Amino acid sequence: MTSRSNSALLIVGHGSTVNSDSSPPTLTHAAEIRRRKLFAEVGCAFWKEEPSLRDALFLFDPESIREVYLVPNFISEGYFTQTVIPRELELNGRITKRSNGQIWKYCEPVGNHPLMTDLLLRRAHEIASGIPESETSLLIVAHGTDLNENSAAAAKREAEKIRALGKYAAVLNAYMEEAPLVSDWQKLTKTANVIVVPFFISDGLHSYEDIPRLLGIASKRSTRLRSAGRSTARQATNSGTTRGEIFQRNPHKIAGRSLFYAPSIGTDLGFADIIIEQAAKFDSEAYPDRAAKLIAKT
Amino acid sequence: MPSVIERALQAALTDRFHFGQILIRNTNGSFVLSHRDDEVRTAPQTFRNAEEAVEIAKYDDAGNYRPLKTAPNLRHGWRLELATLDELRRALDYFYPGRLAVFAAWKNEQLRITPLRETLDRQSGMYRIAAKISDEQIDNVVGNFCRSDSGCLRTILWKRDQHSTIASTKLPPAKFDPLQDQTTVLDGPGSATPATAIPLLCQEPCNLLVAECRKVVKGESQLSDAIPNAFGTATGEK
Repeated sequence: MTSRSNSALLIVGHGSTVNSDSSPPTLTHAAEIRRRKLFAEVGCAFWKEEPSLRDALFLFDPESIREVYLVPNFISEGYFTQTVIPRELELNGRITKRSNGQIWKYCEPVGNHPLMTDLLLRRAHEIASGIPESETSLLIVAHGTDLNENSAAAAKREAEKIRALGKYAAVLNAYMEEAPLVSDWQKLTKTANVIVVPFFISDGLHSYEDIPRLLGIASKRSTRLRSAGRSTARQATNSGTTRGEIFQRNPHKIAGRSLFYAPSIGTDLGFADIIIEQAAKFDSEAYPDRAAKLIAKT
Repeated sequence: MPSVIERALQAALTDRFHFGQILIRNTNGSFVLSHRDDEVRTAPQTFRNAEEAVEIAKYDDAGNYRPLKTAPNLRHGWRLELATLDELRRALDYFYPGRLAVFAAWKNEQLRITPLRETLDRQSGMYRIAAKISDEQIDNVVGNFCRSDSGCLRTILWKRDQHSTIASTKLPPAKFDPLQDQTTVLDGPGSATPATAIPLLCQEPCNLLVAECRKVVKGESQLSDAIPNAFGTATGEK
């Protein structure tokens, strides 16, 4: 993608009032893209943190920024990408022209991009480097039963694509709250090695605590933090000091098998590339002539 | 050409000025940032990268996560040295995300203000119920939740509704005055030397307040109760 002196990139994330690890991947990807100087400005906005989606309406100077590429840092289309973001940012569709002349381009969420498959493969390879893939099962874990979210469907799509490559002995989906359950991983897989990759946008309670407990690599569940609010902030932080350690103890030896547990896919630095690609993809679909030129120069 | 945000920041630069709880000292175009309470203390930690503001702003002195960056609980004991205006802008955006842009829009008379009722009325999903909050409950919850000494250091520009009703009668007039530095309510005797300040402006109720309104409607919040001695009243703010 070529540098654009009058374009900005806005990355929208969910954020959290209780999980301090929710927004950092989005901020990290933004900083990396800013470093590459592909856009005149790179900003972030969050549903649950600052700047808010409403603040984002004022982030880019209409005098110098004529186009804003809006990329949702979400794993799939769903309630937030289809309802909340368009409403809060006053989008009329894929292209919105503001009264100040600024044009906002609503790109697809990061999780939709075909490069996501490569990223999952890379992460699986890195976490279990040197382990023969033909003797390994890959589990892609999603939440399941999300309200109006399609993350389970997206995880399923990725598993199918990786399975079709024929590299791993088995590629399966598993969910936290619906079958096939993460907690049944020993029944679901038959290989000596198992790699588990959470298909989430950031690390947090699910990847630090819930999934490890379901896998049997963490013995107990710490205080639940589902109820948002200031009163729970202390609990979130206290458990946060050690929760990243779960990823440092690979492989976990259980019942004579080796389990490799990866951080959430959204923490992968390769997400920055996918965010940029989603912006480029928007143009290739909306303006085929212009996009051909952009891709040629990438 | 500098953007309107950079121009607004540049215009506000003095030798020393406040932005929320941050003191910024400007020496020939390079900047030293610290907590405003730490001007005369030697900070145990010195940083030189704007991105490090993310970590500084993340937790309070007790190590608690700060979901609201404009809450009056910025941690102490750090010093951030920055070489350029661009780095200063980035760091201030990490400390108080979006506030410089809102300030610039306000200076340029481009800021759109949204009343609380309008924000509540457009919610969907789990927040739809928040619109059922009564005017009296709003008066109390805003008066408690947004107060500068324990809630949020922003200056409220929005009204309760389209009839321009004040957001809360429980807050002092200074809470709605963009020329007032809300942080002064935290100052004790002998605290930081006064300096010019860039205000932290609030053009629309945040999601945290919307969530609190929802809790009020569902009977899960105590902040809607008008209990003078529980959280104090408007007179509690200096």
